[in-house]
Amino acid sequence: MGADPDEELVRRISAGDQAAVQAMVARKLPRVLSLATRMLGDAAEAEDVVQETFVRIWRHAAGWRQGQARFDTWIHRVTLNLCYDRLRRRREWTTDELPEVADSAPLPDALPGDEGRRVQQALQRIAPRQREAIVLVYYQEMSNIEAAGAMQVSVDALESLLARGRRALQALLIGDNGDD
Amino acid sequence: MAENRKTADTPMDARRFAALADAYGSALYRWPRAEQAAATLFAQSKEGRAILDRAGRLDAILDRHHVEAPSRMLHGEIIARATTQIRQGRHRRLWWLGIGLAGAGLAGAVAGLALVTVVTPDAPSDQYVMDANATSFGDAGPDADTEDL
Repeated sequence: MGADPDEELVRRISAGDQAAVQAMVARKLPRVLSLATRMLGDAAEAEDVVQETFVRIWRHAAGWRQGQARFDTWIHRVTLNLCYDRLRRRREWTTDELPEVADSAPLPDALPGDEGRRVQQALQRIAPRQREAIVLVYYQEMSNIEAAGAMQVSVDALESLLARGRRALQALLIGDNGDD
Repeated sequence: MAENRKTADTPMDARRFAALADAYGSALYRWPRAEQAAATLFAQSKEGRAILDRAGRLDAILDRHHVEAPSRMLHGEIIARATTQIRQGRHRRLWWLGIGLAGAGLAGAVAGLALVTVVTPDAPSDQYVMDANATSFGDAGPDADTEDL
């Protein structure tokens, strides 16, 4: 693993550098908001998660030391944990397990200009771990190793989640299971 | 790591190419770095192009989903809380550092006391020291064998 591109910024934040705080928000806020929005499918809840994520960033900046994960990967893990807390609360799960089975009924065709909302609905209907894998690799553009690190799974497990997630999305959005 | 199981020198077969397209989609830059060179070569084949076309259909739909840029209000709230939170984080860290140092000091004192207890011979009891018959050479009291005389 090479040098962490965020390390210097984190060091300056811990020293109380206001310009570094501004730079960190400019660099990470859109990424964290995209992640939370796609995981939760709810803009207001996503904004709450983003606020909580940044509180953790500021609190832990002084103690941050690069270990096995980059700072960006750590931020993704924090955001994902907060998203899962919300998903569990929202659905009132009685156990820690979130469902692995997606709702595979195809979504109705989108009206012109409404395709984005249809994709958001489809993302919410697939299993959360599959959604997480797709959001990290496809939308957040993480490498497979970074995404596997953030999800705390092997690269093989990540590929399996991605493939199953994409098949489920294909069934929902295109109406076939991708086996053609 | 799985990323290293194939390299640019290893030719890619259709099965692996399709598995990667199933997982990562049609854009090769998202594929594992170690397999991109071999995948680029395979992508030029008729079979490769067909696999990428299939994966690209879903990608085209996924690309229609956009998240709105963060609002000024959200940006401002995050910045406003930063100074307080950073200061609290530093204080919390110093507090734990203080606890750690105090704990280390206490542990050192206990270890030192234990060492002194083990190494130092038993000191004579107060009664012995205060005994009038005791000298620096030991007990100068009457010898036991003369005591009865």
